[in-house]
Amino acid sequence: MRIKLDAIRECLEGVIPGNIATRAADGTPNIAYLSQAKYVDSEHVALSYQFFNTTRRNILAFPYARVSLINPLTGAHCRLSLRYLRTEEAGPLFENMKVRLAGIASHTGMSGVFRLLGADVYRVLDIEQVPGYTLPAPPPPCNLLAALRASAERLCGCGDLDSMLAEFLVCLEQFFDIRHAMVLLLDEAGERLYTVASRGYAESGVGSEIAVGDGVIGVAARERTPIRIGHFTAEYSYGRAIRESLTRRGLAGAVETEIPLPGLPESRSQLAVPIKACQRLTGVLYVESPQDLRFSYDDEDALVALAGQLGVAIRLLQQGQEGAECAEGGDQPPVGEAAVPAVPVAGAPLRVRHYAENDSVFLDGDYLIKGVAGSIFWALVRDYDGKGQQHFSNRELRLDPRIRLPDISDNLEARLILLARRLVERAAPLRIEKTGRGRFRLHVERPLSLVEIAGDGS
Amino acid sequence: MADPASAPRPVPALLDSAAAEFITSGISINAAGARPGTVPSMARATGCRVAADARSVALLFASTPAAALLDDIRRSGAIAVVFSQPSTHRTLQLKGDDARIVPPAAGDAALAAAYVKIFTDGLTRLGYPGEVLRAVLAHDPGDLVAVEFTPLAAFSQTPGPGAGEPLVRA
Repeated sequence: MRIKLDAIRECLEGVIPGNIATRAADGTPNIAYLSQAKYVDSEHVALSYQFFNTTRRNILAFPYARVSLINPLTGAHCRLSLRYLRTEEAGPLFENMKVRLAGIASHTGMSGVFRLLGADVYRVLDIEQVPGYTLPAPPPPCNLLAALRASAERLCGCGDLDSMLAEFLVCLEQFFDIRHAMVLLLDEAGERLYTVASRGYAESGVGSEIAVGDGVIGVAARERTPIRIGHFTAEYSYGRAIRESLTRRGLAGAVETEIPLPGLPESRSQLAVPIKACQRLTGVLYVESPQDLRFSYDDEDALVALAGQLGVAIRLLQQGQEGAECAEGGDQPPVGEAAVPAVPVAGAPLRVRHYAENDSVFLDGDYLIKGVAGSIFWALVRDYDGKGQQHFSNRELRLDPRIRLPDISDNLEARLILLARRLVERAAPLRIEKTGRGRFRLHVERPLSLVEIAGDGS
Repeated sequence: MADPASAPRPVPALLDSAAAEFITSGISINAAGARPGTVPSMARATGCRVAADARSVALLFASTPAAALLDDIRRSGAIAVVFSQPSTHRTLQLKGDDARIVPPAAGDAALAAAYVKIFTDGLTRLGYPGEVLRAVLAHDPGDLVAVEFTPLAAFSQTPGPGAGEPLVRA
């Protein structure tokens, strides 16, 4: 029976280094170690091109190669006959291999030596199972299809974004045994990702941001491709990504308004999967583990499928939300809402400072939030302070000229979720409480003293 | 191609004692062969010995998994062998054009068994799956053959920009 590439993907993980045999124009063979072989699709693999060496010269002269790979779990040994097709020097495949190579280099003490020049794409002509002894395959840690199905069913039962994100993270832990995960959404300008939910970290990091293109998460977003690495790599760690991003933006001293991204200090396996809906990027799912090589090709497939469903569900919820708000006519509170007894407001005034420059908000000097969520918060407290308004609807916020929501269909719900969570996490004497579909109440426990800092932040 | 019956060619021994010691120290050994019009062949060796005059090298192979490589060697005599020490990534490639298959010498079965043990024990210490590697290299001693060749070229292949440069003897 013909062996399919999909059936031997574990061999491509590089746990046991593979070899490549090539032939020069004069017939002289050459053999070298492979740094990285990547599954492209059921008929193609990509090999990393790092140096202009004999392998490279040979492949350009005679485009056929043989590659030897070993399954790290069973010892099954296979050889692939390959035909070289092309080299990609940019794009999702290249970026994916570049990030993985950084992980491999770091793991093998080769940082600074390995640099990806290209992703060489080969067609797989045939796969030979080398005769020999093999060990029985260990049972998989979980049945990924069953986990996917159970998670998909659970997501279908969620009626709002907040509960769906929470349920999603619970499913990752319960069905996939993935204990450290976060969901980041793309901001309105498409330049930054902000954390809207996380699980498995001491600090939730909700509200933290990373620029598109930075670190594993940012590269996954920029290239719209999953990025998976099986070893620690300093090059793509968050700490470094964030520091560099701040320096680039001339904000090295502005860490005051940076919420740290959650993350494992000793993260050894990382997988960032774009969350897409109808080819449109919504955000990134990021999972990690302190174990080396925790996530396999199959894990990646399962999470790509699940993230796809999450993306579509987020989109449908956003649209349904808007539709419902329009149908209900929005602004008038339902009967009975106004009758909720007022919360006793007592104690020293809470100083709420708002910097118009970036919509950052500080409560008694402590940073709360910035950006769109900051401008929403500022509008809410001004209406509370000026008009005594406690009840709000999403619809009125969407129409509020004070809030800069360039694409009103996106992100309002997500911004409200992260604002509500930040208030809880900061133990602020204000809360946002949902009172119905597309409606909420600002719950204030102390008098407010609002301070607007205009334009240049002075 | 070389006639196995011909006298040794007057080439200087390419391997110094350090190189000979390195390639026989129980490190990873992979070989490739080629002949016109076909995809190159390859196989893992299960041991190596160097002749007393250091002019020829013999590699041991289990002939069943190495069948295609042995076929190519019979037809062309061309061989490339890469030796690599996993703990340091120090890597050396040897090439020859007079490779020939010979019956294993007395003691080759024991040499192969010792090789598998030293190699897999070393990798296990580095955190590689030792059991798996033992399975990969497991062989029937009756299946062993030896491939002898005269190294005509040696290249350092330790990863880095210098990889592929001819080895210069100190």
